[in-house]
Amino acid sequence: MTAESLITDELRAQIGVEHETLLGEITLLDIQRYALTVGDLNPLYFDEEYARQTPYGGIIAPPNYLTAVITWGLGPQEAELSVDGLGLRRNEQAERNARRRMAGGQQLEFHQPVRPGDVIRCVSRATDMEQREGKSGPFVLIIAEQRYFNQRDELLVTCRQTAIMR
Amino acid sequence: MTQSAMPQQRLYIEAVREGMEIPPLVKHPTQVALFRHSAVTWNAHRIHYDKEYAQAEGHTDVLVQGHLHGAYLVQMLMDWIGPFGVLKKFAWSNRRPGFAGDTLSCRGRVTRVYAEGGEHLADCEIWEENQHGEICAPGTATIALPSSGFRGT
Repeated sequence: MTAESLITDELRAQIGVEHETLLGEITLLDIQRYALTVGDLNPLYFDEEYARQTPYGGIIAPPNYLTAVITWGLGPQEAELSVDGLGLRRNEQAERNARRRMAGGQQLEFHQPVRPGDVIRCVSRATDMEQREGKSGPFVLIIAEQRYFNQRDELLVTCRQTAIMR
Repeated sequence: MTQSAMPQQRLYIEAVREGMEIPPLVKHPTQVALFRHSAVTWNAHRIHYDKEYAQAEGHTDVLVQGHLHGAYLVQMLMDWIGPFGVLKKFAWSNRRPGFAGDTLSCRGRVTRVYAEGGEHLADCEIWEENQHGEICAPGTATIALPSSGFRGT
């Protein structure tokens, strides 16, 4: 039984197309509130005096901080949220009507630490798409890559993850 | 944090052997912790803070965020490698949900010790398991460590 292809030419054309998102400035408070909710009180995140005496030279963010935030910026208004609280992603054509597979996990490479005061830019692109057959019908796996840069255009983090589109 | 301690390296590459276990980290996520984590990561997904909704989706309680499983594993790794070690690569996948009230234990072991690009590296397999011994989140990591000849900066 052959299902119709969900990967339209329009969708496939999105492979490799880069989308840029400005995350704004990462503050010390952002970093520390995040670490606090993890219950991770590593002095590298909290103690400037301590961190200055390490090769980092000052407070850093937990390595996975940037990629742990679900929505940078304002995000949808409450009325735009679906019943499960997840908003539709409106910015990226390739992920229109896509639901982030929350259970997916990530593959991360850390190139440089994120520091308070950094102004971050994220460049994301779909690298591949694949149609699969699920119990409730066909779905598309979108392999996406995000690269995070600071205000000096230094690459900080590379993230690869899979989104699912039904 | 009011008092600064001198940063001390706890782990050098010479002490790392294949098969060696990473000191475990045990976490007890609560509803309050999950709510606050959703807040700071701007995550409105109801399964993390609305127990009634989570139960309607067939879960026993509010779910630990996928990223929080990852964050616990990162915490274990960063605690272990110390302030002179560097986490180079980290990957995890969420296989089984965790819930508020669970006891989640992060564990791992070293799978390979090698030198590359002038760095002393170790690959690790890591995982987070619940109080029933079921694996919630397996993963891998690569760390760089100083040699005991390292004198600091």
